[in-house]
Amino acid sequence: MEPDPQLVQHCLQGDGLAWEKLVRLHTRRIYNICYRFTGHRHEAEDLTQEAFLRIYGGLSKFQPEQGALTTWMTSVTRNLLIDHHRRTKRDRITDSMEDAPQVETKRAPGRLPDQIALDSELSDQVQRALAKVSPELREAVILRDLQGFEYSEIQKVLGVPEGTVKSRINRGRIELAKRLEEMGLRPA
Amino acid sequence: MEPTRHNWSCEETEAQLTEYLDGTLAASTRAQVEAHVASCARCASMIANVGALVRSLAQLEPVAEPPNLASAILEATLGPRRGKSDWRAWFGWLRPLSQPRFAYGAVSVMVTVSVISQALGIQWRAPAVADLHPANVAHVANREAHQVYARGVKLVSDLRLVYEIQTRLQPASETRQTTETPAETPAEAIPSGHTGPQHLINLIDHNFPALHQASLKFHPRQRRSFE
Repeated sequence: MEPDPQLVQHCLQGDGLAWEKLVRLHTRRIYNICYRFTGHRHEAEDLTQEAFLRIYGGLSKFQPEQGALTTWMTSVTRNLLIDHHRRTKRDRITDSMEDAPQVETKRAPGRLPDQIALDSELSDQVQRALAKVSPELREAVILRDLQGFEYSEIQKVLGVPEGTVKSRINRGRIELAKRLEEMGLRPA
Repeated sequence: MEPTRHNWSCEETEAQLTEYLDGTLAASTRAQVEAHVASCARCASMIANVGALVRSLAQLEPVAEPPNLASAILEATLGPRRGKSDWRAWFGWLRPLSQPRFAYGAVSVMVTVSVISQALGIQWRAPAVADLHPANVAHVANREAHQVYARGVKLVSDLRLVYEIQTRLQPASETRQTTETPAETPAEAIPSGHTGPQHLINLIDHNFPALHQASLKFHPRQRRSFE
């Protein structure tokens, strides 16, 4: 696979195919961050588009020596989400799951339908519980437990010390576990 | 429940939770956490719940993005697609045709066309423009239709003839069987020439005039003669 800095360089030189590759590589990840944060499919779709517009416009600001492209793109997305959150003044997103998207099943084609249904149900319940967690704890849990970021990467994305990152993840997890328990769900 | 040992509070335990679950705590701190958990049901439950939650979240599959999202982003950033992928847009409508149901449909249409063209007398090996002339097509179709009708009529009349023969031969056969006495041995009951092909030949010979009349009834053809 082409290294990120090289891919970005090609994008900056006007290589449309390089940009297309980058978009297709990161769309799902950025969409998932937006969806898990907002809890709304359509909002997440619009925000993902807006995030890529920002990324496209700010590619020249990406500095490989300061971190991976994924971290920088996540940082841009996170700033957008904060702006969106402030704009909408929504501390608690609705727990309506009418437009919950399907959990992706392609990565595990051997799974039984029952397991897929359980995963989908768990995904919905996690989303409902996340909606009740404060935004700053929510984003920490999303980045760590759903996106699999390292603490150092989260530190760069959030712009806070590592101790604060761990503290937010800690509190976010405890809060989320409590919310799930209130909903009658205890992860096995 | 309040902590009872090592002056280690629930808050302190909570603060160490992430590193405890990551397994990155120093041995002494870990021992203190475990000592507290052993005596605090609330913290024990919390660690179990959060541990299970972290494992569940790690296994959760990402949600699927809307199918056209990447294309919409590319269009918003690069404008309408051009260049290498242009031909994909032009032939994009052909993509659904690669599905099996369309292949089955295509085969079905080909077979139908083949049957119809054969019925219309179109020679694919040596195609001629004249074959497609409406008058020729109508003529061939008319001829084929008549032939099919004639074959059908002949088949029906043949079947009726066979039925007629069977019904005429049946009573004679049954009569013969009923007149035979039960006391006769099987060997005596089936005398030579009374069963099998020879018996049928004898019956047909015997009933030939009647069968001939029946045949004429179903096939009232003109008598062939050399005259």
